[in-house]
Amino acid sequence: MASIEGHRGMSRPRPPFPAVRGLWGKPTNINNVETYANVSYIFYNGADWYSSIGTENTKGTKIFALTGKVKHTGLVEVPAGITMREVIYDVCGGILNNRKFKAVQAGGPSGGCLPSEAIDAEVDYDSLIKAGAMMGSGGLVVMDETTCMVDIARFFLNFTRVESCGKCIPCRIGLKIMLEILERITSGQGQEGDIELLQDMAYDIKKSSLCGLGQTAPNPVLSTIRYFRDEYETHIKEKECPSHSCKELLHFRVIEDKCKKCGLCPRVCPVDAIEWEKGQVAKIDLDKCTKCTSCYDACRFMAIE
Amino acid sequence: MVNLTIDGKQITTSKTSTIYEAAKENGIYIPVLCYAKKLLPYGACRVCLVEVEQMKGRLIPSCTTPVTEGMVVTTMTDEIRKVRKTVLEFLLVNHVVDCPVCDKGGECDLQDLSYEYEVVTNRFEGEKFDLPKDEVNPLIERNMNRCVLCGKCVRVCDEVVGYGSYSFINRGFETKIATAFDRGLDCEFCGQCVSMCPVGAILPRPFKFKARPWQLKEVDSVCGYCGNGCTVTLGVKDNQVETIRFNDETGVNDGNLCVRGRFGYSYVNSDQRLTKPLVRTNGELKEASWDDALKAAAKGLKDAGDKVGILSGARLSNEELFLMKNFAKVLGTDNLDHSGGESYKGVTEGLFETLGLQASTATFPQVENANAILAIRSDFYETHPVFGMVINQAIRRNDAKLSVIADKFGKLSKLPNARTLIHKPGMELNLLNALCHTLIEEGLAKTDGVDGLDALKAALKDYSAEAVAAAVGGDADKIKTTARELVNAENAAIVLAYGLPYTAYSKEIAIAAANLALLTGIAGREGSGLYLCGEKANSQGAIDIGILPGNNGLGAQQMLSAAGQGELKALYLIGEDPLVSYPDKALVESALEKTFLVVQDIFLSASAEKADVVFPAGSFAEKDGTFTNAERRVQRLRAGIKSPGEAKTDYAILQSMLKEFDAAAPLSPVEAFTALAAETAGYQDVAIDKIGAHGFVWGGETLQPKKKQLVAVSGVEAPQGDYQLLVGSALYHSGTVSVHAKGPMAVVSEPYIELGREDAATLEIEDGDKIKLKAANGEIQAKAKVDRRLPQGVFFTPYHFAELQLNSIYTGQAAIAVQPAKA
Repeated sequence: MASIEGHRGMSRPRPPFPAVRGLWGKPTNINNVETYANVSYIFYNGADWYSSIGTENTKGTKIFALTGKVKHTGLVEVPAGITMREVIYDVCGGILNNRKFKAVQAGGPSGGCLPSEAIDAEVDYDSLIKAGAMMGSGGLVVMDETTCMVDIARFFLNFTRVESCGKCIPCRIGLKIMLEILERITSGQGQEGDIELLQDMAYDIKKSSLCGLGQTAPNPVLSTIRYFRDEYETHIKEKECPSHSCKELLHFRVIEDKCKKCGLCPRVCPVDAIEWEKGQVAKIDLDKCTKCTSCYDACRFMAIE
Repeated sequence: MVNLTIDGKQITTSKTSTIYEAAKENGIYIPVLCYAKKLLPYGACRVCLVEVEQMKGRLIPSCTTPVTEGMVVTTMTDEIRKVRKTVLEFLLVNHVVDCPVCDKGGECDLQDLSYEYEVVTNRFEGEKFDLPKDEVNPLIERNMNRCVLCGKCVRVCDEVVGYGSYSFINRGFETKIATAFDRGLDCEFCGQCVSMCPVGAILPRPFKFKARPWQLKEVDSVCGYCGNGCTVTLGVKDNQVETIRFNDETGVNDGNLCVRGRFGYSYVNSDQRLTKPLVRTNGELKEASWDDALKAAAKGLKDAGDKVGILSGARLSNEELFLMKNFAKVLGTDNLDHSGGESYKGVTEGLFETLGLQASTATFPQVENANAILAIRSDFYETHPVFGMVINQAIRRNDAKLSVIADKFGKLSKLPNARTLIHKPGMELNLLNALCHTLIEEGLAKTDGVDGLDALKAALKDYSAEAVAAAVGGDADKIKTTARELVNAENAAIVLAYGLPYTAYSKEIAIAAANLALLTGIAGREGSGLYLCGEKANSQGAIDIGILPGNNGLGAQQMLSAAGQGELKALYLIGEDPLVSYPDKALVESALEKTFLVVQDIFLSASAEKADVVFPAGSFAEKDGTFTNAERRVQRLRAGIKSPGEAKTDYAILQSMLKEFDAAAPLSPVEAFTALAAETAGYQDVAIDKIGAHGFVWGGETLQPKKKQLVAVSGVEAPQGDYQLLVGSALYHSGTVSVHAKGPMAVVSEPYIELGREDAATLEIEDGDKIKLKAANGEIQAKAKVDRRLPQGVFFTPYHFAELQLNSIYTGQAAIAVQPAKA
């Protein structure tokens, strides 16, 4: 609304709600495109038809934007109440490279990360919120075992920090500090007490922020701590990234018993830092290595750590 | 009304209140950073979060949330305390915390809150800000390293001042407050941002390292410049006015001030001030004792008998004016006048003829609720900036429709949706007549109880909107729309400034404005008003008390003429420098030279240099007494400092003079006020102890006209000649005193001649070039200021600067025909 009026895009305090006093001071109906699209179908086919789809509390269908490590990414429309497994394995064809499903970030950058145990949960408003995520924008980012949960929290927080308008203090400064702590952890500089500090400040930011962005931005951090606290602890205490994803915690060495001696890594290395002969385990020359992670990304056997 | 509970206390409050306001009214403390009484709710700082039982699960910002029936609010819990403390910790992460050298130290909201919430250590860490400071201008310093982004400066500059200097730039953590293109501040320097800043991010530069806030003695007084009557709270240390303190609890101005009020105080500390009486001996002014000076003055005046004239400025207090009037009686003269005589004819004669009044009919705060406003003269914002801010608020809060009758574009023309009825110089009258004509023609005029309609109707027959638009170079539809808006508005206001640079047709313009006020029903209607605003702090007081020629007396111009012809033997000038500020310098010069001249002033003015006796007087900051502002509000002046050297207040000097003539004088200003209230019309109800924080408006909020008499005034012919010079007031100055003040001088330090881009191109004159204007009886020269305010063929120059010698070509006409050339 502010942008349409020619002002700087900043959230305004409510009340007055837009429906009472919105654009240019006039009552304004603000909804997502998806909502408006549904409205026209409800008009055409009637409310009974619409509520015949979905669950008790979440009627109709829901469009998800699926990205991440699934075979088929894109927009999918499914009836509410379907399980996450059906969405990922039936609709989207399963995980890329047949790797192991690890987690799914539901609800966009402000949503929450759900672990593999939640894969059989129904996808509706109430269950998602109970699990620490939300329906939100309908974004689903699917992660496999190569994804580090601390790094993913950092990634989403970086997004919300950049998107912060800068108006209210908790969101403007708080998110930046949270991000700095996560960056510290993912680069091996994590300190004892960081997890508790993150949880504590996340709570305060959620409580005190002005708009939905700040009120939900800490969700990925809170949900990853809730379900993957051990990953945080490994980063902080052992300075290791269990998924071998945080670049600064990678050792760039080949795990001998995992290496299938396929010879793919020397071919992708841009600086010829990998010595390999047919039938031999590859070896990385750390003096030459520029830590570009090409080999790591290429290896299908998770043999580089 | 709404009932709610805050911290267990039952409260009834207005349904438009927020939780914070309801709490504050009832003495319940909630901390705030970004809240300001006069700004719209914003809700950025999150320090005022409270708990509301009906909205469980989240914390509610009390400053933006309206109260609702039955609401149960808790202002402090462990959770609230923790969240507030976290917010403060966040703020202190990147803040430079340079409190020891910050001028805000001791009255900084961030400092106070950090103390209150015991933010001893910070759990978070981060880099300190290292942003460049804005020290380009001499008045306002911006140090964004201390900024908390409460947005008050952005909001006040937009919502109240209507200038829009600041905005947020960048997003997220990189957000900061900046000017356009992030350059140095270059604005009208009213300093509202300074007064609003809760931390040390925006500070008054002249106050830098002058005093700690707790070392200052605060004295509430009234600004000595214009007739708006803003409260200024003097910050005094060691008998020096070091700054003007923020005060939105007292007075009519909500803590708002203009550049003169906020930064124009330094003339009172000037080392150019007169500190000893001067007496002319052997042709030279020499320092003398008070005794000798008083005796010399008394002797000269006694010798002149009743061939004496007294001329005063309008910056004297009511009490001083009262003593002066008594002194005139003692001298046996009716020759008493102030401020050039002509300049206030609008009020004394124009309004009196039509409405039977000699004052504005309503008060300033009412204008905030106006739906339609007509400002006559584009300079209104320049002469009365803080009233201009009230008009801006009416537009923003109330969607008021503003029309401006103007010969050039000014600040008011830039306000949202402002309609400017532009006209050729001096032709305000024609437009006012056309507005009246439209009302009568369209049958909209409110004529109940109004006399003289038929005569006016006949007289206005040639003033149809179309005819006038063609004559003045305007737009007929704009005239009609303005007339309709004014008459149809529930609350409407007509505002007009008067003063020394606006003497031409002042009576006729006031009559035409009063006609319009009658036909629109504005005069005397609750919530609406006709405002005639005097240029000086006590212009209205001077009229109320009657510093006017008596029955057989001479007015200002007549006195000067008579003196020049040797018919007056002595002149007594009090706080007035006619040689610089009055029209027709040759006339003034001969008058001052040919008479025995006594001058009472705070500086050795050009006129004082011609005097036989000079008394060193006191500034407004040294006086106790009262001023009456343009809305009839009587407010108290309080002395903050002692006069320098042997200087005395005008009150004390006049007391001594009365004594020299063996006449009785009231002892104290309070006594004088009691005496003047008894004999001044409208003041009978005003007692000094009834003058509260918001003054006392004599005659009540709405003054009923004593009669409703329409009087026809004829319009003016379009001026002849290709180029016209307009004389007026500049925003940064007021009269001739502000040229002694560092603040205004820092912004506008020398005279200038302003012209439009078209003329500049034709004449091949660039900004800063010297330009020469030749008129019938002389010429003036000054730097050219090229901008887009002036229509083709029109020049403008302010009258404050002596060195311009403006009154060598200005004789009081509405526009001076000139021939321009590059000098």
